[in-house]
Amino acid sequence: MRISTQSFARGNVLLCVLATILVVSLIGANVLLNCVTRYNVASSQVRSWKESLDAAETGGDIAYAELRKTISDPTHAFSPSNGWTYSGGAYTNSPVTYGQDNLSTSSRVDPFYYDGSGNAWYRIRTKGTAPVLGLKRVGMDDRMGPNTRGDSLLRKIDFNYDHFVATYGPNGDGVGQTLLPVSRPQVSRRVELIAAPMTPFEAAIKAGGTFYGLGSAAYIDSYRSTTGSYDASVKTNPSDPRYPDSRSGTVEINSSVATIQGSIYGNLYTNGGTITKKTSSIFGIIDNNVPFSLSPFAMPSTAGWNYVSSPTMINPNTTINPPVVNGVPRTGTPQSPNYYLVTSFANNGNLTVNPAVIGGVAQETYVAIHVTGDIGQNTSSNPTITVPPSVHLQVYFDGNFQTKAENIINTSGYAGNLQFYAISPTDPTVQQTVNLNSGGGSTSGFSAVFYTPSANFTINGAPDITGAIVCKNFYGNGNVHWHYDRALDTEGDAVDYRILSYVEDIR
Amino acid sequence: MKLKASPSIAGFTLSEMLVSLSLSSIVLAAAITCGISLQKSLAATDNYFSTEMQQIRIIDYLNRDVKRGLVVTTSVDLQSVTMSVPKYIIQAGDPEAIADPETIGMPRTPTVAYTPSGWQVNYSPSTTTVVYSISGNSILRTENGVVTTIASSTDQLVPQSTDVELSNTEYANTSVTFLPIFTSGGAVAERTGTSMYATAYLRNKRRG
Repeated sequence: MRISTQSFARGNVLLCVLATILVVSLIGANVLLNCVTRYNVASSQVRSWKESLDAAETGGDIAYAELRKTISDPTHAFSPSNGWTYSGGAYTNSPVTYGQDNLSTSSRVDPFYYDGSGNAWYRIRTKGTAPVLGLKRVGMDDRMGPNTRGDSLLRKIDFNYDHFVATYGPNGDGVGQTLLPVSRPQVSRRVELIAAPMTPFEAAIKAGGTFYGLGSAAYIDSYRSTTGSYDASVKTNPSDPRYPDSRSGTVEINSSVATIQGSIYGNLYTNGGTITKKTSSIFGIIDNNVPFSLSPFAMPSTAGWNYVSSPTMINPNTTINPPVVNGVPRTGTPQSPNYYLVTSFANNGNLTVNPAVIGGVAQETYVAIHVTGDIGQNTSSNPTITVPPSVHLQVYFDGNFQTKAENIINTSGYAGNLQFYAISPTDPTVQQTVNLNSGGGSTSGFSAVFYTPSANFTINGAPDITGAIVCKNFYGNGNVHWHYDRALDTEGDAVDYRILSYVEDIR
Repeated sequence: MKLKASPSIAGFTLSEMLVSLSLSSIVLAAAITCGISLQKSLAATDNYFSTEMQQIRIIDYLNRDVKRGLVVTTSVDLQSVTMSVPKYIIQAGDPEAIADPETIGMPRTPTVAYTPSGWQVNYSPSTTTVVYSISGNSILRTENGVVTTIASSTDQLVPQSTDVELSNTEYANTSVTFLPIFTSGGAVAERTGTSMYATAYLRNKRRG
């Protein structure tokens, strides 16, 4: 009989092979497990955390765009057709999903403050959510130390429930906490933005188009009327406490076409210009990369204003006295002025607006006039507007404006008391103009502000001006002395909104 | 019956044993060396990855705070960053929390103030001070005195931040580097090769 040992030897080899495969598989599985955990952290969780902020900020952009519409296109602002609803004093929108990673965002907008001009300030709270891909497993470590990783120290991931709603409620104010299941792992981040109204007169001159001026001996400086009257010596006297307010005669030009002459005691901003301190006398900051936009100006709603039927035409020696209601002259308010609709302003028209006088004392009186045509029609026109102290006059005009600088008489000296607004033509081929000529070398000037975003503004001669101008193209060739009143930056109705504050809710 | 002895199951000769032992020793030694090297390599890779994750975390932390920062300043050696951020959340010890402990953890309603520099939005009369610094092998984040270790590694993590203030904006450039376990004699490229950069703009920049 022959005894063979071959089968035993084969079994031994098989065991060795299986053991080897097992060992290699264990090593491979361990490596794979490590890789997946790291991949989850590095790719999925970090990516989701960053993308959720992107989504939250996108929600902020959406809400901000709606907010801007409240000025430029009020009938379509926060429209239900765009998913917005109004409830409890706040606008909210249904979640918007976008992008290949299925990011979603929702916003809540509510006014929380009204400034002295009645402009609303809004709080925009947005939530951005990004799904976390990969296995529904933690694989992370909260602790931070030599042997721990602190993976979830910064990033909060909702695997089963929305931790924020469960702890702080849906609006984060501690109301309505509930266990809100999430359909899949996700990261949510929240930001709060404050949108502040932009008032019309934040700079001495703001030109949406080209700029030329002023004369070689001209200058633009500033002061603050609430701390005293203008003093030309302050801007060169650093020891004067009013000095910080004397160098805000800022010029903003949304164009690279800018010819700067004279001295600017303030900042100069252009959009792609090549201005340097070597090419011009500018005492503030020069920044050639500041684009901005000027929206067309529309006649504001007169609902709530005190309409007065007469006069409807401004002729020589036209005087407006406040209407008397129940034996008392009506003063009006900034939100509800006495309102006149004027269809004609004669070339030699002479308008004087008087304050309400009660008990022999002139009262602060608020008047708005809407001129549906031109104010002065040619270079020989000399319409005059006179505003005594205590009168706050806003003149809205549909056409052009043409007069001599000295015919704008604001005896209070406070530019905010006489405001001109040019309503933008609906026909884009129509070019609106504002032309002020000091005439005959006169240096007398005016105190007023002009908000004429669609008009080409021309000023000749060398008048002394206190105020601010917003226009399309600016041209001035005289040695103007221009004083911007810093108190103007709180004057007027909002013409746009800007984001003034950004906070992330890191809870 | 006579059993026939098979030559195939005959014992090894001494010389065969010596040769096979030598060869198997060599193979085993090579296998052990490979195994140890692989293990070290895995540990190094794992460590590299872990440190890299901490790099990301440092930058994410810094960016989050810089974005909401009112003021950001960096030290001369660029390794310490101090910033003021709005006090958005009511914390224990705040006046509101003392008046009503239920408000702890809740957000504040903003207030608006007009200053010589223009309008300002405030959440509290005071602000929160956040400091990023290095302590040994750890990167610390100190918020109003409360210290949090946000990264810790023996790989000598070094964050460097530069605050850049322009006429119309301000931002912080941050780079974080480390020295991996496996080096080639401490060559400079080994640190610079791990650089991770980020730029964050201050959204609440205040002037005046």
